[in-house]
Amino acid sequence: MMRKGLLCTIMAFSICILSSCWSSKELTDLAIVAAMGIDKTKDGQYQITLQIINPGNVAGGLQGGGGGTQSPSVSVYGAKGANLVEASRRASSTVSRRLYYAHTNLIVIGESLARTEGIDVIIDAIDRDPEFRITSDMVIANGVKASSFVKSLTPIDKIPANKVLKTLELTEQKWGEHMKVSAQEVMKNLESPGSQALMSGFGIRGSAQKAQTLQNLQQTAPESTLRAEGLGMFKDGKLITFLYGKKARGVMWLRDKVQGTDVNISWKDKKKAIAYQVVRQRTNVRANMVNGKPKMIVRTRVEGDIGEIEVPVDIKNPFVILDIEKKIEAAIEKEIKESFMFAQKKQTDVVGFGEVVHENYPRQWKRLQHEWSDVYFPEVEMDVKVEAYVRRAGLRNKSFMSDAVKQRQ
Amino acid sequence: MPSLFKNKKSKDNKKETEASLPKGQELLMQSLEGNIANIKKRTGNSSDMVIRYIKIGERAAIQAAVIYIDGIVDSQSIQELLVDTMMKDDVFSEPITPQNAFTLLKEDVVGIGDVAILHTWSEVFPALMSGDTLILIDGNNHAMSAGTKGGEWRSIQEPTTQLVVRGSKEGFTESIAKNMPMVRRIIKSPDLWVETMKIGKVTQTDVSMMYINGIANDKIVKEVKQRLNQINIDSILESGYVEQLIEDQTYTTFPTMYHTERPDIVAGNLLEGRIAIFVDGTPFVLIAPAVFIQFFQSPEDYYSRFDIATSIRFLRILIFFISLIAPATYVAITTFHQEMVPTKLLIAIAAQREDVPFPSLVEALIMEVTFEILREAGIRLPRAIGSAVSIVGALVIGQASVQAGIVSPAMVIVVAMTAIASFATPSFAIAISARLIRFVFMIAAATFGFYGIILCFLMMIVHLCSLRSFGVPYMTPLAPFIPSNSGDTIVRMPWWTLRQRPRLISSGNMVREGDDQQPMPPKSRGMANTTVKEGDQNDA
Repeated sequence: MMRKGLLCTIMAFSICILSSCWSSKELTDLAIVAAMGIDKTKDGQYQITLQIINPGNVAGGLQGGGGGTQSPSVSVYGAKGANLVEASRRASSTVSRRLYYAHTNLIVIGESLARTEGIDVIIDAIDRDPEFRITSDMVIANGVKASSFVKSLTPIDKIPANKVLKTLELTEQKWGEHMKVSAQEVMKNLESPGSQALMSGFGIRGSAQKAQTLQNLQQTAPESTLRAEGLGMFKDGKLITFLYGKKARGVMWLRDKVQGTDVNISWKDKKKAIAYQVVRQRTNVRANMVNGKPKMIVRTRVEGDIGEIEVPVDIKNPFVILDIEKKIEAAIEKEIKESFMFAQKKQTDVVGFGEVVHENYPRQWKRLQHEWSDVYFPEVEMDVKVEAYVRRAGLRNKSFMSDAVKQRQ
Repeated sequence: MPSLFKNKKSKDNKKETEASLPKGQELLMQSLEGNIANIKKRTGNSSDMVIRYIKIGERAAIQAAVIYIDGIVDSQSIQELLVDTMMKDDVFSEPITPQNAFTLLKEDVVGIGDVAILHTWSEVFPALMSGDTLILIDGNNHAMSAGTKGGEWRSIQEPTTQLVVRGSKEGFTESIAKNMPMVRRIIKSPDLWVETMKIGKVTQTDVSMMYINGIANDKIVKEVKQRLNQINIDSILESGYVEQLIEDQTYTTFPTMYHTERPDIVAGNLLEGRIAIFVDGTPFVLIAPAVFIQFFQSPEDYYSRFDIATSIRFLRILIFFISLIAPATYVAITTFHQEMVPTKLLIAIAAQREDVPFPSLVEALIMEVTFEILREAGIRLPRAIGSAVSIVGALVIGQASVQAGIVSPAMVIVVAMTAIASFATPSFAIAISARLIRFVFMIAAATFGFYGIILCFLMMIVHLCSLRSFGVPYMTPLAPFIPSNSGDTIVRMPWWTLRQRPRLISSGNMVREGDDQQPMPPKSRGMANTTVKEGDQNDA
């Protein structure tokens, strides 16, 4: 009886300890990785570049010393390896602390790696690692190596990774040509035959060498800065090309990702005379089977305000407003169609039409899915209808110019 | 006492026995000198004992002595009601002899209410020592005691521990004779019963239990009485002695009896069926049985309106958790769960910890212990230097240690918050128990992280559920859950919904208010001064 009781007690206590995952790690022994850049070297190895936060230089606390101006807020270490895990382990020969990936919010993929090898091979390591978050966002280093991108310093936001993420978030909300994509979403797109991955490109404006120096930050207008550049279009995990400007936005419309943007329309003979700010929009995509071929029906409903009028327009007149709305509809429709045609030309379904067909015609999809992007998608017909509404016109209705112009005439 | 007296009177004077052994049932002697000699011998001729010889009766024929201890008696009443009247010659209605002296004194002369005739030494000494005045008469082997307890006590003041903004400002004093009337004044009911006993073989301390007959649970009353009677100790200096001798569970940090300095709390608890134990010499009155949630309740909860009382109670529970696990959480976060902190906060904490030479558990322990030292020193230090300690403490903890890089500012914030939280708990008893458990939590957090905290927390809950206070489960009415009493737990519902007294604690007479107590506005929505006729537009 005694022995039984003892055994039970020991077992009860063992439960506390056996659950594992309890290794403690002091904060001062951690190298907090803010961003990771992945490149491919010429000898076929992976080169990872780790942006490690120097906490003292970021927080600028009592012990910090200098508040980040004397020494950079991040330090960058790199390592090579046949795969990511090897590279990460090898990095310990240069970093004095345990690499801590739980706060890695940004993964930068070198353009050449994305073009030649594709992203699907590297994403497994990120997915499998218990520390790495699959909610980390992914960008492509546009025109530069991921390593020099990760090494760049940024003003205002002391941690470059944060600057990239915040820029992406803001531009997605306000401009609508870029998209914040997490590793999770990339994975979802990679495994689905009916949708191809999209990833924002980020580049360095100015010299990549300069961007790594603190001197660059000591100017009011830094010579080199990081900026969002292009929307990378993928096909089967490989980068095909970057979309810029209206083409990028057209894809965003189709993906129903536009949160806010600015559409300019011409009025009379003045080009881009009226600026229309999109406040909210909703794009609905449906598929219709016509003779065994899917036909996409796209319905976009846009609401917004008039932000600027450069010509005298009497917007008190509801017919004028209707006219403006029509023009906006046409402009958006054009954007959508152009991007769609471009995607068809490139034979990559970045707009996710395959998914829609899958949802609407699950049985037919089985037949279509294998050759969707090569055969069916390039031939899909699309019917677009945009409904635009002008909801407000800011704090004025009639432009103050309308009187001035009248007097001049 | 009167029956005792009659009994004695009927008996003839007994033979004088040897008074050399003044213990037990030894009787007094006939001779005044002999008795006084014995008293002197027994008390070591203590210098604060006053022995006054007087002569009473016609022609002052009878030798008598008035004996009392200076300081614990009311000298004015001795002077006016005892000595003065006795020394007058014409006060006796019939000729006085030593034999009938006490009867005459008692019936005709002494103007003091509480008078008794004593005949054994074992009655004489407790009476003398508790402040009664003895009257001895030569030729009579009895003594008379007159209740002249008095002397100086601290006057009634505002309580120092459980302060309220709204509510009675009076607090108990050290005198049991002053404390019990304070409660009596609140509860004017003949059912408020008091039983007094003397506990402590040497100190002979008055301990009284007070309860409301018919509301208090008879079984608990019996249990309390029995436990009090079992106490066999030489001294009771404070109610803490009694508490520790009668509580259910010694090996717990949680208090299973409530103590208070406020008469209104005692009255409120008596009306919920609890039993109050007054101990002479301390302003702290014990209340039993106590339940866990009671320590989070302040009398003000019942005085202020229910919505405010409820939100403040929520705050108190939060405060309790902060004072329990705030440092532990900090330790767990900085050593195990760095991924759970937002990146920016993590960087801020990491920047502060960059130069700190200790692991965060050591850091936390240093700060907590420093704070405990400061707190302890703050209590002990004379008031004049108290401010010096707080300045030194603030500098040492707040500034110097941070600047020297010994501890991180975040840790200082956590410790400061914990410290403030531990003072904000309404009951000091539960605050100090949290203070102790906090260290267990910290060590668990340092070994197992959040998992350890949860583990510790579970053990604490299990322990709490296993506790009993005089047979009442400690976690009532939460576990076991009693729906009719749950309105007065971590929430305080409006008074008109709290119809029933706490079950398990009180018995019988459970309903304390009528069932239609919800205040209803008048049907008419007219103004107070306008008379609204039926059928008016305003009539609802």
